[in-house]
Amino acid sequence: MKLLLIFSLLISSLFAHPHTFIDIHPTVKMINNNKFIINFKWMIDDMTSTMLMMELDQNGDGKLNKKESDYAKEEYFSIFKDYNYYTYILVKGKKVKFPVAKNFKASMQNNKICYSFDIELNQNIKDTVFEFGDTDFYVAMILKKEFVDTKGLPFTVTGVDNDFYYGYKLEFK
Amino acid sequence: MEYYAKFLHWLIALQYQLNSYISTTIRSLNDENSLSTSLLILGIAFIYGLVHAIGPGHGKALVALYFTSNKSDYKKAFKMGYMISIIHAISALIFTFGIFYILKTMFRKNFNEFSDIAMQISAIMIILVGIYLIYEAYKSRKEKEKKLKKSNKSEIAVAFSAGVVPCPGVMTIVLFCIVLGQTTLGILSAIAMSIGMGLTISLAGIFSIAMNKKAGDTLNKKAYILEMLGGFLVLTLGIFLFLSFHK
Repeated sequence: MKLLLIFSLLISSLFAHPHTFIDIHPTVKMINNNKFIINFKWMIDDMTSTMLMMELDQNGDGKLNKKESDYAKEEYFSIFKDYNYYTYILVKGKKVKFPVAKNFKASMQNNKICYSFDIELNQNIKDTVFEFGDTDFYVAMILKKEFVDTKGLPFTVTGVDNDFYYGYKLEFK
Repeated sequence: MEYYAKFLHWLIALQYQLNSYISTTIRSLNDENSLSTSLLILGIAFIYGLVHAIGPGHGKALVALYFTSNKSDYKKAFKMGYMISIIHAISALIFTFGIFYILKTMFRKNFNEFSDIAMQISAIMIILVGIYLIYEAYKSRKEKEKKLKKSNKSEIAVAFSAGVVPCPGVMTIVLFCIVLGQTTLGILSAIAMSIGMGLTISLAGIFSIAMNKKAGDTLNKKAYILEMLGGFLVLTLGIFLFLSFHK
């Protein structure tokens, strides 16, 4: 029992805990039965956004222009590629590679930085499942039902147990 | 593991709300409501610290392991928890103000670099504490009859190892307050949050001491084995942390 306690503490100490919270707002755009685009809007929490703005808002106007948005893409957003954008895509139960993120734009909305980008998938949306979560437990990805816009397509948002972290799953019906 | 994951999820959801609540409340500060709102912010910061430290990290494992290998009373666990929280707060304030005022630009990048350095210092300190605990266990075996008077040195070393890494959560609140022109409130919030974290860390120590007491006479007779094991585990923890930066 004691050893179990010690080992569980030892293991847990190697993980960080969330310091940044990102709300995920997905919007679905159907192209045809085997092709769809999802626009993701990541809303970064107020405090983290304030910290980021110190560097990103180079002209200090409280907004992010094209140049500042490009800088955000280059210096910050591109890093998320190494973390698979905290998003795992499963088609018929098998993990697929995260597509290239297109049309990136960083903006400021209600004291929060918004990263907006599109991904395109040549799959049937009903076979596709999205799972969100940071395995390192540093960033908390938050998905709520009210954040999702599927233009009428039925969907579910559920919690997903991934052993050492808890993520969210988005499924379409 | 399902319950553990659900527990983590609950912790995240709570911190998500507290994080949002604290930033909205700080932004709502004005001349008319400054005292009541400031007190409310400090209250939230305390609870945020308490909840934040429940999650993985913050030296709870180190404190628990230390008390596994050292016979202590509950008072010592509180002392340890609060030593860590004081060092945690001081470290966060020094790092935040230092980086903010000296370097100002590129804050986040520098913050990450300095945070890495602090983590490595912490890992080396943890390794040294582990070696020290193993040495003490070896010594106590050799001098079984002679009751060893434990020095405070190891406690301070443990507290320093766990506390030297500034908590990004505390740093973010301090910085947020500085940017909004509420520097004093930022410092007080860091202290309130650290007090909350200290309480949680103390509880980890108390839990470990309680487990140690329950271990009974059989283990007490072979206490040095437990002490040695605790020392080795602390050492392993330090090596793990150190190696994680040299992958």
